[in-house]
Amino acid sequence: MSALAIPRGHVRGIRIPVRIGTAVPLLFVLLVAVAAVAPGLLTDHSPTAIDIQHTLLPPSLSHLFGTDDAGRDQFTRVVYGARESLGIGLGATGLAMSIAIALGFAAGLAGGLVDTAIGRILEVAFAFPVLLLALLLIAIRGPSVTTEIVAVGIGSAPGYARMVRGQVLQVRQAGYIEAAGALGHSRWAVVRRHLFPNAMRPLVAMITLGIGQSIVWASGLAFLGLGVAPPSPEWGALLDSGRLYITTSWWLEIMPGLVIVGVALSVTSLGRTLQHELEGAAR
Amino acid sequence: MPTMRTARRVVIKVVTAIAVLIAAASVTFFAQLLVPGDRATAILNQQNGRAQQWTPAQLAPVDHKFGFDRPLIVQYLDYVGGLFRGNLGTSYTQYKPVTQVIGAELAPSLILTVVALIAAWVLALAVTLLTARRGRFLAALGSTWEALTASLPAYWVGVVLLVVFAVELRIFPVIGGTSPMGTVLPVLTLAIPLAGFLGQVTRDEFGKVLDQPFITTARTRGMRETAVRLKHALRHSVVPAITLSGWALGALVSGAVITENVFGRPGIGQVLVTAVNTRDVPTVSGIVLVVAAVYVAANLLVDVAYGLVDPRLRTA
Amino acid sequence: MTRPSYVRLAASASTAGVLLLSSLLAGCSAGGATAASAANDGTVVKGGTIVYGHEQEPPCLYGGWLQEAYIDRNILDSLVTEADDGSIKPWLATSWNISSDGLTYTFTLKPGVKFTDGTPLNAQAVADNFAYWEKGGNSTAQVSIDPYFKSAQALDATHLKVTLNKPYLPLLTMLTQAYMGILSPANIKQGTQAVCNDPIGSGAFKIQQWKHGQEVILVRNPGYTSWPATADHQGPAIVDEVDWKFLPDPIERYASLTTGETNIIYDVPTVDWANAKANYQVTDYITPGKPVSVYLNTSRGVFTDELVRQAFAYGANRKAAVQAAFHGVIPYEGNPSVSQATPGYDPTVAQAYAYDPAKANQLLDQAGWTTRNAAGYRTKNGKELDVTFAYPAGSVITSEGATLLQILQQQWKQVGFNVNLIPETQAETFAGKFSTPDSYDAQPWYWTSPSAAILWIVWRPSTAASPNYSNSSFYNNNQLATLIQDGNSAATTVAADRYYWQAQQIIQDNAAAVGLYTQFMSIAVAKNLHDVWLEKSQGEPVFEDAYFTK
Repeated sequence: MSALAIPRGHVRGIRIPVRIGTAVPLLFVLLVAVAAVAPGLLTDHSPTAIDIQHTLLPPSLSHLFGTDDAGRDQFTRVVYGARESLGIGLGATGLAMSIAIALGFAAGLAGGLVDTAIGRILEVAFAFPVLLLALLLIAIRGPSVTTEIVAVGIGSAPGYARMVRGQVLQVRQAGYIEAAGALGHSRWAVVRRHLFPNAMRPLVAMITLGIGQSIVWASGLAFLGLGVAPPSPEWGALLDSGRLYITTSWWLEIMPGLVIVGVALSVTSLGRTLQHELEGAAR
Repeated sequence: MPTMRTARRVVIKVVTAIAVLIAAASVTFFAQLLVPGDRATAILNQQNGRAQQWTPAQLAPVDHKFGFDRPLIVQYLDYVGGLFRGNLGTSYTQYKPVTQVIGAELAPSLILTVVALIAAWVLALAVTLLTARRGRFLAALGSTWEALTASLPAYWVGVVLLVVFAVELRIFPVIGGTSPMGTVLPVLTLAIPLAGFLGQVTRDEFGKVLDQPFITTARTRGMRETAVRLKHALRHSVVPAITLSGWALGALVSGAVITENVFGRPGIGQVLVTAVNTRDVPTVSGIVLVVAAVYVAANLLVDVAYGLVDPRLRTA
Repeated sequence: MTRPSYVRLAASASTAGVLLLSSLLAGCSAGGATAASAANDGTVVKGGTIVYGHEQEPPCLYGGWLQEAYIDRNILDSLVTEADDGSIKPWLATSWNISSDGLTYTFTLKPGVKFTDGTPLNAQAVADNFAYWEKGGNSTAQVSIDPYFKSAQALDATHLKVTLNKPYLPLLTMLTQAYMGILSPANIKQGTQAVCNDPIGSGAFKIQQWKHGQEVILVRNPGYTSWPATADHQGPAIVDEVDWKFLPDPIERYASLTTGETNIIYDVPTVDWANAKANYQVTDYITPGKPVSVYLNTSRGVFTDELVRQAFAYGANRKAAVQAAFHGVIPYEGNPSVSQATPGYDPTVAQAYAYDPAKANQLLDQAGWTTRNAAGYRTKNGKELDVTFAYPAGSVITSEGATLLQILQQQWKQVGFNVNLIPETQAETFAGKFSTPDSYDAQPWYWTSPSAAILWIVWRPSTAASPNYSNSSFYNNNQLATLIQDGNSAATTVAADRYYWQAQQIIQDNAAAVGLYTQFMSIAVAKNLHDVWLEKSQGEPVFEDAYFTK
């Protein structure tokens, strides 16, 4: 059952299968996905082609987001940067959720000593500043997309682990779990078919929020000089190099920032819609 | 006897807290040793603004002075032993006790973090109370605002606030330092995105609570909407946000480094970044210790807050 | 009936927000004019506090780092000072005598000078400082006089004898640096922590307080008697206090000047240069010494071949790229070994390797890199023409410098080099990660030095017995070494220069390094603050003559 194909509106008698409130963020995310997968479809400039005769041009028809201090088309750089930034967002969240699910389910299901031990580990992990983790990782391995993914991923995992554990504990006590057990279903089947979906569903919105937050966090790391190496057009790197020009060529700092905000906003909104629909379907 | 039980629980909590602190500091100590490169080289380079290798003859006195030539286990045990005596070690680069290095810049960080958290709460609660479930337009507006602010990169907010309010409009000073007027913009930089985050979580919970039977009961008894929201719904909906606050307090102390950088404000975020760059192992471990302590204290406060807000959560 | 979506609201709200934001920000570029005070009638104000917006905070207030020299120039005095024309003038030493063999320097010191802790600044105190530098107390001071320095001996309270192993004409110029500022021996005896946090000298100011992460507060030394011969006025400092603030963010730093919260700032962002020149007194300083030039690793990898190095030099339009990246503010420097502000600079060397892609292609073909792969990079025997270009991000190479490297990277790509830019974090830089021959092919760096003697520090061949870790091109050329030594030990400046020119010619001909731009600093001073001048040898801002006018 598709969560999105819910008839809501009519325009001139034509059924629109999707709500506007879902359509706009969905389109935006699709656009960004296209930028990540096939950037050449959205722009024919090259993201690294310099042109020192035409630096710092304001936005115009030929350069939608203007040009930067090396004469590169900023719109093209934002488009090509989607792959790395989105990659960091998805990768970090994916890593965080994997760790969180492993730890949260182990703690929630096993209980007792395992729960206590994991609880203490999480406390220590929480006390460890994410910033330090990033600094140390980058000191060890040098700045790169992988390092950013690992740093942000491991850094956000404890928070999610706690939430997952809380959810697992709550769902464990539900009546239908007991019933399923009484019916003779194997533990693994119970976990897979009942526990997991019901525990994770309320977290869908959190996960999509996390994707946006990971991208924002990665851009913060770029500010501290821990970002991806140039001439990468990763959005955080664009924000970092555009900073100097905020009073003279504001588009270099504002445009990539708006894109980051737009992606975070759209992904979050889609997540909330998805969670809404899933919860509606579950009821 | 209940007092015995409470006392034992308190003791366990304290012991656990100390264990967490020691563990965090230990992990940091060893993690830094994992970073490739020789510590004596880093120290000499940093003193002279260079980036070169040094001869063994130049490195030996440095190694000896800081005890790098002793076995790792001895160095570690020395360090942990010092922790129990309250001695966090001496900074490799500033030649001062780590407690002095951190102490000088801890207060501004804590003030910034706590005030930012309070401000974030005020903003989040205001937006939630005023806009949650009050008709489609207001609800949409509130939701949008929260989602938008939660997605803003911190230094983007900071630089824009600096340029607009300090440079253009001249309301606040550019160099904040630690003065009250100079703290406003840094606080806002941290509070605005955090408010969006806390607000989203509270709003969700608020919506769920307003659906509960006891709310309907209160309404049918004749309570006005505002009173219902304030007296009943709010208390229960802030629980997840309180949980998040515990984490936020710990994270903000060192995560505020971007804000400190943009506004030229002292703080331990800056100290941390410099210390990692110069491989000042005792200072980095000391900061982790402090952040862990803040986090543990914040968690204790969170537990107390739970008890105040929702009696069901009070650990009997 | 469609529900009003909150995302649509978001869209319209953000558009409105962007328009508002951009108009506010655009208005900023015109800002700054209002900071200058009206009705400045020129009356000198006695006293006052200068608020100085510096950039980087050092870990200690004394040491071998340029950031430390900036502060030390205002609290320590040196033996001699350099005038604007390069000549050496008296300071703590009122006169000096050089023996005919150039091995003995006898300095006559000004009597009655006291450190701010009350102890006397006599010949023994100066001798103690020389010993301290040699022991490693200040490695830049040490490397400035090694291996020529032999001993320093106090003959009596006001006479000091310095003995050398070999004649060393640049000695006096080296002694003008703030690294060679004289510390109180009592302070030295207190240990590294004392010297690091509260160095005590005899200068126009002394340290009152260091608020870490914020500022150093310098207060006037009322008992100041030892100003240099180049001072603009006789007597102690006119202002009462200097608040030396640390504002690393360039936007904040420049903004603080426009709002009047600082009276003078360090390093005007090149993007604000025109605005600064229109509204403030801007002074710039081209640092003498080794300019920001790219060391090419001659011992391993693709740059072992001289033809490839020369092709690298021809292959990019370095001059135009520097012009574009720094908005015309920082000058291009074609001479990779010595900058145009250094005595002994050879201007003809700077003309070499003007942009010539045809020549670069020809040289690469000649070197055997004749085939190209699908990506367009040259190959030879299956190997790609890869250049690992590591650069210290943030500290040495600023954001604009990073843009410059990206521009050059694209140009080098045209002639077939695959330049891989690797920004070094500060942690990696200090750890020496990119200091070994197997870690990079190219790396840009600079060295500040008031004399061409820097050539010896950088290009002295590295041997197993006596390694030279400053020779980052790993270029060991004994003919070059002899020429530099001859220059250092020449009897006259004219003779020395002739040797130095030959040395620079060899470095350039062999393309052991490739020139980029000069190390550059600037200050912007508010219109009501006068007579802040930059020290000739290192470019430190000097506050002892500064005064406010109403």
